[in-house]
Amino acid sequence: MSESTYQSIGSTAPGHYGAAGSAVFLSEATIATAWNVQGDAASSPLRGEVQRIAGIALPDMANTASRSDRVVALWLGPQSWLLVAADAATLGDFNGGREALIAAGGALFDVSASRVAYVVDGPRAVDVLAAGSPLDFDPRLFGAGQCRQSLYGRVPALFYRHGEPPACTMLVARSFARDIWHSLCNAAAPYGYSVRAAATFA
Amino acid sequence: MTQPHRLAAGGIVDRSRTLGFSFDGAAYEGHPGDTLASALLANGVHLIGRSFKYHRPRGIVTAGADEPNALVQLAHGARTEPNTRATQQELYHGLVADSQNRWPSLSFDIGALNDVFSPLFPAGFYYKTFMWPPGPRWWLKYEHAIRRAAGLGRAAREPDPDHYQHRFAHCDVLVIGGGPAGLAAAQAAARCGARVMLCDENATFGGSLRGDATLIDGTPAASWVDAGIGDLAANGDVTLLPRTTAFGYYDQNLIGLVERVADHLAEPPPFTPRQRLWHVRAGTVVLASGALERGIAYAGNDRPGTMLAGAAQAYVTCYGVKPGTRAVIFANNDSAYEAAVRLHDAGVSIAAIADARPEAALSGDHPQRARAAGVAILPGTAIVRAHGGLRVAGVDLASLQGGAARRIDCDLVCVSGGWNPAVHLYSQSRGKLRYDDALATFVPDASPQSIVAAGAANGKIDLSAVLANGHDAGLAAAARSGFAARTAQSAPTTAAVSTGPLQALWSVPSRRSAKCFVDWQNDVTVADIALAAREGYRSVEHLKRYTTLGMGTDQGKTANILGLALLAAELGVSIPQVGTTTFRPPYTPVTMGALAGHEVGATLEPTRYSAMHDWHVEHGARMLNAGLWKRPHSYPRPGESEDDAANREAKNVRSNVGAVDVSTLGKIELQGRDVAEFLNRVYINRWDTLAVGRCRYGVMLRDDGMVFDDGTTSRLSTTHYVMTTTTLNAVNVMQHLEYLLQVEWPELEVFATSVTEQWAGAALAGPKARQVLAALVSIDVSNAAFPFLAVGECELIAGGARIPARLFRMSYSGELAYEIHVPVTHGRAMWEAVMAAGEPFGIMPYGTEAMSTLRIEKGHVVIGPEADGRTTADDLGLGKLVSPAKWCIGKPLLARPALTAPERWQLVGLTAIDGTIPRGGKLVADPGQATPTPMLGHVSSWCWSPNLDASIGLALLERGRARHGDTLWAVSPLADARVRVRVGPPCFIDPEGERLRV
Repeated sequence: MSESTYQSIGSTAPGHYGAAGSAVFLSEATIATAWNVQGDAASSPLRGEVQRIAGIALPDMANTASRSDRVVALWLGPQSWLLVAADAATLGDFNGGREALIAAGGALFDVSASRVAYVVDGPRAVDVLAAGSPLDFDPRLFGAGQCRQSLYGRVPALFYRHGEPPACTMLVARSFARDIWHSLCNAAAPYGYSVRAAATFA
Repeated sequence: MTQPHRLAAGGIVDRSRTLGFSFDGAAYEGHPGDTLASALLANGVHLIGRSFKYHRPRGIVTAGADEPNALVQLAHGARTEPNTRATQQELYHGLVADSQNRWPSLSFDIGALNDVFSPLFPAGFYYKTFMWPPGPRWWLKYEHAIRRAAGLGRAAREPDPDHYQHRFAHCDVLVIGGGPAGLAAAQAAARCGARVMLCDENATFGGSLRGDATLIDGTPAASWVDAGIGDLAANGDVTLLPRTTAFGYYDQNLIGLVERVADHLAEPPPFTPRQRLWHVRAGTVVLASGALERGIAYAGNDRPGTMLAGAAQAYVTCYGVKPGTRAVIFANNDSAYEAAVRLHDAGVSIAAIADARPEAALSGDHPQRARAAGVAILPGTAIVRAHGGLRVAGVDLASLQGGAARRIDCDLVCVSGGWNPAVHLYSQSRGKLRYDDALATFVPDASPQSIVAAGAANGKIDLSAVLANGHDAGLAAAARSGFAARTAQSAPTTAAVSTGPLQALWSVPSRRSAKCFVDWQNDVTVADIALAAREGYRSVEHLKRYTTLGMGTDQGKTANILGLALLAAELGVSIPQVGTTTFRPPYTPVTMGALAGHEVGATLEPTRYSAMHDWHVEHGARMLNAGLWKRPHSYPRPGESEDDAANREAKNVRSNVGAVDVSTLGKIELQGRDVAEFLNRVYINRWDTLAVGRCRYGVMLRDDGMVFDDGTTSRLSTTHYVMTTTTLNAVNVMQHLEYLLQVEWPELEVFATSVTEQWAGAALAGPKARQVLAALVSIDVSNAAFPFLAVGECELIAGGARIPARLFRMSYSGELAYEIHVPVTHGRAMWEAVMAAGEPFGIMPYGTEAMSTLRIEKGHVVIGPEADGRTTADDLGLGKLVSPAKWCIGKPLLARPALTAPERWQLVGLTAIDGTIPRGGKLVADPGQATPTPMLGHVSSWCWSPNLDASIGLALLERGRARHGDTLWAVSPLADARVRVRVGPPCFIDPEGERLRV
């Protein structure tokens, strides 16, 4: 096979790539704002302030997400969450929010540019995810509304599942974006995949 | 006539299509469904290769993974693959295979002289011969010759053109082996609702039932298999993996599988990996890997045309091939009679069945059927010798009680010494084996992992018992994951067969010089094992290493039990007392490509790119790896060398202004009420005095007092700090801080997060840096408003856009310098704005090489070269930073006598008096001294300083601070260099730091 057949794998331009058929859909989910909330999960002042600032209740359970129509809150650790909003206006003034959370015994970090998000969807999406991640993506065990941190290849990644049947949005550090996009495309090529235009983070 | 030995009907081959292939240059034909071995046998080709040591002609012994002899060099060029088992390689149109280990040809091989002189090559030949004369010098010479003789095939020399994938998977039940037991198990577990994976090394499922007409549940076995596979394929919770070998069993029920996605094709279709490596986490493994037949050692038991009886049966039943025209069967158990009947029914003349057992043992159903078919059965008889050269021509039969031998002509000998459960994976799971006297072999006993052996792998022989055992194993495995049978399920049934007892027979006595092979692949004979025992090798592990029994690509699958039984007999102990050697992964060889997967070449490791990466590349940067990051080394202009470019860039920073991408530096934000206290504890210097809007250089120590990392921390507000770390230590420092906050000092109200990925950074350095910056940012950057070590938040004007930015006045180069940080998404816009604003002032981008030159000129230490894990802050000239007013990590141990000794190596600067300071040179007082010359220190960093026009360096030197002004020698035997150097303070430029503060 000619090299050029493979060279298109990894392109970010919308279109069909790889083997015949479109069993996988790949796209970027744009993030306008991402804030890392830290603090005591049991603190009601902290939860109250997050509710006031972001209009969302922090998820109680490990590895779960909560969402409003504009914000998704992802559980990262026993005292750490990631608030993601697709619209820059949603979360408002960062410095004001930070002062409020400090006053409530917590902290707020602006990490809006830190991560890039890719959506992996389609009938063979699990094959693409499982090509790089040791997690079990069976929707009965890792379904919509859940999130987990693991690796894709050797790169740390945060996986968030949403929709029905659940698609998976993968968040990785931005410096790895090109590498991960290539890995996803390579994993999807045997099944045939379509790159879709970037959409806002769901 | 093509395929003269192909039967008119039967088997899994598709006779309506023909595949052309070649072996040793001769063209043949076969059918889809064939292996290379079955296709060669269909064409009457039995001579496949030459043995490893004696170069004896060898043929096809088995029909599967246990094949010791029929190993071929597959394909040519980049896709060539040595030691391919002909018995497992699927035939494809255009397949090219060649025999191995022969010269000039397979039928006339010069190496066969080894066979003639075999008395000169006993077991342990290497160890006995190449130890003289003593010492390594001669061995190194012998090694070259031995290397040439070693090995069978040849690896490809070209890069592998194929790609390979890895795949993780999880299931409740992994069934290894798709024969009768595995199919029954998979169906039972799947009906319970469990997530099931079923893998089989062959292209089609069914194992021994492939092509078989035995009735199961009232239908012929082959149809029963098809129906069962159809049911499983329709179940969304079942994954079927044909052409997939389970090769390794690891902790927590992690099983490695290799799926040969495209090895049955001349080359993989577009976008298809050649092979896929599966990492399967299984709740429970059902090991239905079947059993491997063993031979019996007698003189000449390796002549081509000699085959295990089960293999001969498989060639007839599964592939529709007659492996010979006139056969002698040699057995000690009933299974060979089934083979005899199948061969007889296929039109192979059965000259005789020699059975080691007495007449009374021959009452089982299969011997009765053979007798009814009119086959001559000779109880208490053995083959004492085989005749023939390139193909067996006949055998001598004699009573085991003694007496005269008589010759029977034949072109096929089928041997069965009994069956060994394929316990390899069970053993890899750390499962214990138990010796079964009735089977005369080891069977699974108990494993600490969740594995259930089933069918022939569990020592079951009769098909009805195999099916029932597989069914039960499937139910038990599903139940372990909490899946109970939904409805009453019964095991598949077939007519039971009565079987007579096996009588263990390992070898037939023969003349001492005759070769009775135990391990066909490694040419280990009965005599070799006896010799090893005489020479004192009592442990089977030592026997293996001494004789090479059980080594090689087949790992002694047909040989091991024979070998240890013979050792037991030599030692006069029982077989269980001898025990088995350790089974290790892989079960069959795994390609390096499959193990590497995607991690080859440019994707060996993940790569991190800064937001300005494309700009650097577009502007001619030569990129280098810094950890996982790509960083610009320098920006050579057309016709300019990299060194010249770096020197130009470094000079421009001191005379005009330069910009360097510092996005890769680790950045950690700290928030909370107790950050100052936290910093006091992790840094050697004081932090409670740092005002808002200021930054400070700090050094962290390890617990043992050695320097761990350095960097700056800036105070953005009363409760908000940002710390920078070195690029390479970014993750380590973050982990260190998180550990301290979570484990050591949870009472501190401090929260940390890494913002390395949030901020792109540019350092702007040089006397004209302020003029560039003034046009770029929204705040007053005059010396009064924004002095050295100030920090502030501002906006950077890039074109029409206003980008939120953090501005730091800090310097690594020693010049007036700033760092600008903007969110990564604005990194390139910021960089382009900086370059545009700097153009009137002669700005140049500079890379890591110029950055390194500038810091050496300034005497700044780097983690690694100077802070090499053995240096304290005082060694590096930073002792005065250690605050006497407070405790910090590592401080208590700084008082150890060895860390305050006057003869410690201390940081100094070196200037070459003549020549160039050698890379990594050692410092000596007199290079003419007899070796070993006392070493006073070593050069840690070195460069050509374009600003001083000199070769300079930093060094760690014994009592270094007391030697300023001394002349020493920097020597490097590797570079054959000795250069006189003058010792001085480490800072070469602006020691008072005036340039920083202008």
